[in-house]
Amino acid sequence: MPTPSPLLTPELLTQLERLEIVTRKMFRGHRKGERRSKRKGQSVEFDDFRNYVSGDDLRLLDWNLYARLDKLIIKLFLEEEDLHFYLLLDASRSMDFGQPSKLAYARQLAAALAFIGLVRADRVRIETLGQASGQRSPVLRGRSSVPRMLRQIEAIAAEDTVSLANGVKNFCLRNTGRGVVVLISDLMDKQGYETALRWFVAHQVDCYVIHLLSREELDPEVKGDLLLVDCEDHDQAEITVSAPLLAHYQRTLHAFTHNAREFCTRRGIQYLLADNQMSIQQLVAHHLWERGLVQ
Amino acid sequence: MDSLIYNTLSPWQWALMGLIPPALIALYFLKLKRQPLEVPSTYLWHRVVEDLHVNSLWQKLRRSLLLFLQLLVIFLALLALLRPGWQVDALVGERFIFLIDNSASMSATDVRDPDLNGGLLTATTNPASSRLNLAKQHVAAMIDHMTSRMSAMIITFAEQTQVVQQFTSNRKKLRAALQRIKPSAGRTHLGDALELASGFANPERITSEEDGREYEVTDPSPVDLVILSDGCFEAVRGFSLGNLRPQFLPIGSVKALNLAITGLSVRPGENRPERRQVFVQVANFSDQAQRTVVDLTLNGELVDAAELEIAADDISGITFSLGEISEAALRARLEIPPSLADRLQLDNTAYAALNPDRVGRVLLVTPGNPPVELALATQQVGHWAVVEKRSPELLESLEFQQLAESDTYDLMIFDRCVPPRMPLANTLLIGRIPTVPQWQKKSSDRIHFLPQIVDWQRAHPLLNLVELGNVRIADTRIVNPPPGGKILVDSSQGPILAIAGRDPYEDVVLGFEIVGRGTDGQPIMNTNWPRRLSFPNFWLNVIQYLASGTMRQDSPVHQPGESLELPRTIFGNGPYAGSPAKDSKLAEQERADQGKLKNLAVILPDGTQQALSPPQHGVYAFHDTFLPGIYEVRAGNKRLYRFAVNLLDPNESDIRLHTHSLGESGLRRVDSISIGYVDIAAQTQTVASRRELWKWLLLAVLVVLMVEWYIFNRRVYV
Repeated sequence: MPTPSPLLTPELLTQLERLEIVTRKMFRGHRKGERRSKRKGQSVEFDDFRNYVSGDDLRLLDWNLYARLDKLIIKLFLEEEDLHFYLLLDASRSMDFGQPSKLAYARQLAAALAFIGLVRADRVRIETLGQASGQRSPVLRGRSSVPRMLRQIEAIAAEDTVSLANGVKNFCLRNTGRGVVVLISDLMDKQGYETALRWFVAHQVDCYVIHLLSREELDPEVKGDLLLVDCEDHDQAEITVSAPLLAHYQRTLHAFTHNAREFCTRRGIQYLLADNQMSIQQLVAHHLWERGLVQ
Repeated sequence: MDSLIYNTLSPWQWALMGLIPPALIALYFLKLKRQPLEVPSTYLWHRVVEDLHVNSLWQKLRRSLLLFLQLLVIFLALLALLRPGWQVDALVGERFIFLIDNSASMSATDVRDPDLNGGLLTATTNPASSRLNLAKQHVAAMIDHMTSRMSAMIITFAEQTQVVQQFTSNRKKLRAALQRIKPSAGRTHLGDALELASGFANPERITSEEDGREYEVTDPSPVDLVILSDGCFEAVRGFSLGNLRPQFLPIGSVKALNLAITGLSVRPGENRPERRQVFVQVANFSDQAQRTVVDLTLNGELVDAAELEIAADDISGITFSLGEISEAALRARLEIPPSLADRLQLDNTAYAALNPDRVGRVLLVTPGNPPVELALATQQVGHWAVVEKRSPELLESLEFQQLAESDTYDLMIFDRCVPPRMPLANTLLIGRIPTVPQWQKKSSDRIHFLPQIVDWQRAHPLLNLVELGNVRIADTRIVNPPPGGKILVDSSQGPILAIAGRDPYEDVVLGFEIVGRGTDGQPIMNTNWPRRLSFPNFWLNVIQYLASGTMRQDSPVHQPGESLELPRTIFGNGPYAGSPAKDSKLAEQERADQGKLKNLAVILPDGTQQALSPPQHGVYAFHDTFLPGIYEVRAGNKRLYRFAVNLLDPNESDIRLHTHSLGESGLRRVDSISIGYVDIAAQTQTVASRRELWKWLLLAVLVVLMVEWYIFNRRVYV
């Protein structure tokens, strides 16, 4: 049994054990796993027949058919392989806001998803956007890796800001393997999130974007005349809070999330807006289940 | 001050004020102290602010509630500086005295008459309402406008001044007091009311004398004196208003028509004194000739009537002859045709009372004076008085002391003798000065020879029809009356006939003897007067004036509200006409009358009976003469005396507001009333004042400031 950790409570773990990561695409795995692969291979599940060509493994010949038809026919079986499951966390300073902070929430969510992957013997790799292009995170695999996974996630702290596009680009360059990528970010990049998401599309991964916003961002409780300072680039904005301003903020926020959702949907990316007040259980069991990441 | 705003600032001050709002807006934009707040990202906020910037500056202003509130505060403050306000019928001041005229003329019902330029305060109620009701309405309106810090008192003035309500700020009390005011039939005496008001206005006026100069110690508090009257009275002289700030609200109209009886007298007939004549004087206070009928009723029965035509603003008289009547209640009444809008009913009726004739008793104390005795023995004199003659020895006797104290006689004539003490009667001294110090102080017993008569008071009743130009006098004493006395005959040597009061009697002193005594002790004539026609006339006058009351007061007439003294003689200490006092039956009757004097009462014209209070200093006084009509003095069931109370005052009956023309414009304006040396202009409006808003505006400023503070602290979003 995995060590109890603040990231994952026992109740959550029992729930998560029943789930698995689902991908709508089939990818090639590296090792024997529990998922069907594009490759034909050696499993118990029959897939197809084909004519024998020289060089084929003789062990795969269907001798019964040869006796009946006098033809060499090879029997193909479905190959079951493991799945590449990438968790990409935005650990910029902007994520370190909220109660609980968005980063903490993201860590918890990542731990939960990684646990599901590990339990189902998927190849789980957890990375952050700020990681240098040469620095790769270890691949975790199997239930025994849960403690390592937890330690790795717990070690994630708010780091210097890398633009979303650069972070994703580095991630794609580092990891050539196809698989499922879950990006947990607030998408608050002044250069926009579009470039970053296009990288995923180009990389042909099954991408999930969990757009994580804090309650303070969804419904800011600000008053008076304020000088807003961006924690990342120390950019400033002067506002005088008024009801119309707040209403306008709500409209802008709604437009922002709506655009992001639409952008993702058009490109086959699953989008989920989450806020830090939502419980992990609820998020995983309902919203991610609804969107087909887990089942 | 009747415009909507009242500018209090000069243009450059306004320029400074005008800079405040732009400065405020500038400060609002320059407001640098924003509270820094670290946020995850300004990404969305920037987009919000950029969008708002697109919406122009104005929108930002519009949505800034705090700025709006601050501007509102500035605006309200500026507005307060403009002192907006309007004219209202309100009171300005703290203490008020409402002087309400309730004299006879205020009963006029002309409040709905057409009027000239706003002289009249128009009434809103029924047309039958009187001027007094209108005045009460206006005072009620002013009371309604009183604030809690104001106090007021109400005084009515007519013949008598009455404080209806002392100073109070209780409006309920004031209204109740107002309701108590009743019209009276008296004349208008503003002076008394002003004295009273002045006394109430400065109750603690104290002066202290330092270095021979007077300083007022207490600060006098000003009092607003509101006089509501029709101005039907004489100007008030010799009154200083002091702290009183008078306002005069004229009530009435300038065209009010009125016919009035302004005179009613009953006189003995010229040829036959026992026959009476009634003289009625009627005045027409309108600008057109009027015809009217005068009725005369005697004891309730019509005895005569006559038609009378009176020119505009004129008076006319008519004489009715009555028979030999000795006791009667007369009423003269104007029959006003219904077409004539007579606005004052009160003066259309006048009353007169005739009392039974009474013969005076005269005691002549003389050592012998044939001319005087002869003059007092005429038939005419006998009609008025019974003359008894005694010698001067009487003066030394105990009997005289009793007589002097009993007021048995109406007149005592002392010829060449002086009573040791003045009796309770009118006296006439011939050739001697009374022993009273007041007389002695100024006169002396020194004899002056051959005085020439220079002047005499022809108007005095004693010298009525007395010609003294041809009278020679050998010697005389000079008589100087005490203060309050009057010199009747003046000679080249000094006064030789004088009269002076000695309450309630009068003393007449004739300086020269008529019959003197020569050195040989023989009587000699000191003057040729007895041979002149004026001599019997004088003695007749003496008897009429001193022995039977003031010029034979057959029909005593008093003004409404006047306090009067009832003649002593009516209470039975004198013989009745035609029956000498020696008559034993009559004497018994007199004694019976004396016994009944305990139940003295006065029957008022409205039938009510009022007990007569006991006499003070031998005088019966009666005050409750507010109703015009005939009053009866009764002792038990016996009628002792009747007197009439009448208005008979042209000033009161001329109920038109007095006006004067305003230049060539043809406008007319109600005359001001004059008090002391101050003319108080008539106000055409009710007491109007300016009600200003600036206090409320400043209050609103405070409220807005509080709201702004609340919003600033609580961050109320709008």
